[in-house]
Amino acid sequence: MAWRNLGRNRLRTALAALGIVIGVVAICSLGMATVALEQQATAQLGDLTNEVTVSSGADSDTDGVTGEQVEEMRAIVTDARVIPQKTNATTLEARNGMEARMSVTGVTDASALYDLTEGEAPERLQSGALISNATADRLGLESGDPVEYDGRIYRIRGFIESEHSFGFGGGDLVIPVSGLADQRHYDTVTIIAADGDAAGRIGDRLDTRFNTEEDEELRVTTFGNRAQVGGFLDTLSLALLGIGGISLVVASVAILNVMLMSTVERRGEIGVLRAVGIRRGEVLRMILTEATLLGALGGLVGALVSLATGMVLFHVITGDATGALGWASSRYLAYGFGFAVAASVLSGVYPAWKAANESPVEALRG
Amino acid sequence: MSVVELRGVGKRYESGAEIIDALKGVDFSAERGEMVTITGPSGSGKSTMLNLIGLLDEPTEGTVSLRGRNVTDFGEDERTEERRSALGFVFQDFHLLPMLTAVENVELPSMWDTSVDRHDRAVDLLRRVGLGDRLTHTPDELSGGQKQRVAIARSLVNEPEVLLADEPTGNLDQDTGGTILDEITRLKNEEDLAVIAITHDEQLVEYADRVVRLVDGVTRT
Repeated sequence: MAWRNLGRNRLRTALAALGIVIGVVAICSLGMATVALEQQATAQLGDLTNEVTVSSGADSDTDGVTGEQVEEMRAIVTDARVIPQKTNATTLEARNGMEARMSVTGVTDASALYDLTEGEAPERLQSGALISNATADRLGLESGDPVEYDGRIYRIRGFIESEHSFGFGGGDLVIPVSGLADQRHYDTVTIIAADGDAAGRIGDRLDTRFNTEEDEELRVTTFGNRAQVGGFLDTLSLALLGIGGISLVVASVAILNVMLMSTVERRGEIGVLRAVGIRRGEVLRMILTEATLLGALGGLVGALVSLATGMVLFHVITGDATGALGWASSRYLAYGFGFAVAASVLSGVYPAWKAANESPVEALRG
Repeated sequence: MSVVELRGVGKRYESGAEIIDALKGVDFSAERGEMVTITGPSGSGKSTMLNLIGLLDEPTEGTVSLRGRNVTDFGEDERTEERRSALGFVFQDFHLLPMLTAVENVELPSMWDTSVDRHDRAVDLLRRVGLGDRLTHTPDELSGGQKQRVAIARSLVNEPEVLLADEPTGNLDQDTGGTILDEITRLKNEEDLAVIAITHDEQLVEYADRVVRLVDGVTRT
């Protein structure tokens, strides 16, 4: 019955439903966009935010991080890996005569810092070298080829994936720390914590231990932790959802208008219904059902359009369209649909109440 | 016993400073099985009287009784129940719902009531008014006379005791009007109805068992 009433003025119904569709699409796709952004940001920043980097401070008189300091760090930081590194620079000459200037990193715990294109980096790098994929390509170096640094020969054991992170723990050539024995102190110490929050806490602990207000013994660097990134994204998603919400409010005003017009138009008809003994509650139910159907219809179409939009968004932002189907983003479809139905019912209430409570004589008069 | 009874009924409308007495001390009654027409010039209070009998409106004085019960002070919901169970309405403009078929229009008064199924009764009534082959037609596929037959069937679907008709032949030509009145008369006898019709139409007066004339809100027999 309600369904057929909606069918009577198809254009008007379609336009009202379109309003809802736009509202739902706005809410859903903005919501899903923030989820996609959040996933992408987490993926990109994740490697960074859980690292603490320590180097010698402005007031240090050792020009590096000493072995004792590293031991102290290991004592303080029991829940994360402490990886001291020595760095230098060198020029490598290839058999084909090409030369390349590059950084050299001496580190023992190579597996914590580097991902190899093939196999795993050794947990304790005692002999041999790792070289970045890009450099190896440029110089035509292959696995097992020798490279020379500071008069010693190292055989290449693996190739480092070019983009480990944003370059920290970087180094084109990685050799055992013993190869840089003439440097007394470590240049940097990287501490890899479980997550950004833990990294922040470790950074604070080290800062308190080694530094005072006037005396910076060690420079402790942490990166904007994930909580801060999350906080920003929460604000962003709230703002975007607000915009979506406004468009849904506009849509529900359109429904209110449509329902009001349609009840005014059908005044006489509703009078007849009341005259032949249809109860007030039944008239109310009929008109509310119409509004609900309108909302459900618009919501459903809106959700489908949003799903398609969401998949496009995910494809563009994270490169994985199926991410849109995950609950984190698909719940916005449920929200949007729920909002649409709720808004429609709400805007149907007044017209329904008005139609149901009109005196039948007045209504019949038209 | 009269199925419908008005005692000293008055209806006063106040619009701004103007006070209109549409009905003044009207006494009226109708029995089952009789057709009464109420005639009178425009503004004589015919519609007001029909609305009061039909429990669509409340009198400002006097009492209205239906099936021997005083229903004057009934609230809106009680009056709706009375209309539903005891009264049938036929209007000049038919007032069928355009998106429903003939049989759905007839079932309309009980459409929301899941406790009864009036479908068989609706089909039977449509057959009895000669529309057995038009059950699934929508109003715009029916002629004026056919629409009014659907409306009559609708008014009787809940097995009322009183049929109220507001100019039932007003929108029909002479011949069609005649057959509609034959139909109403036949159903009146079959269902033992009290038929109360208001009209200008002299033809309708001929079918009446009794005629009540209203002039300026007062009855003259």
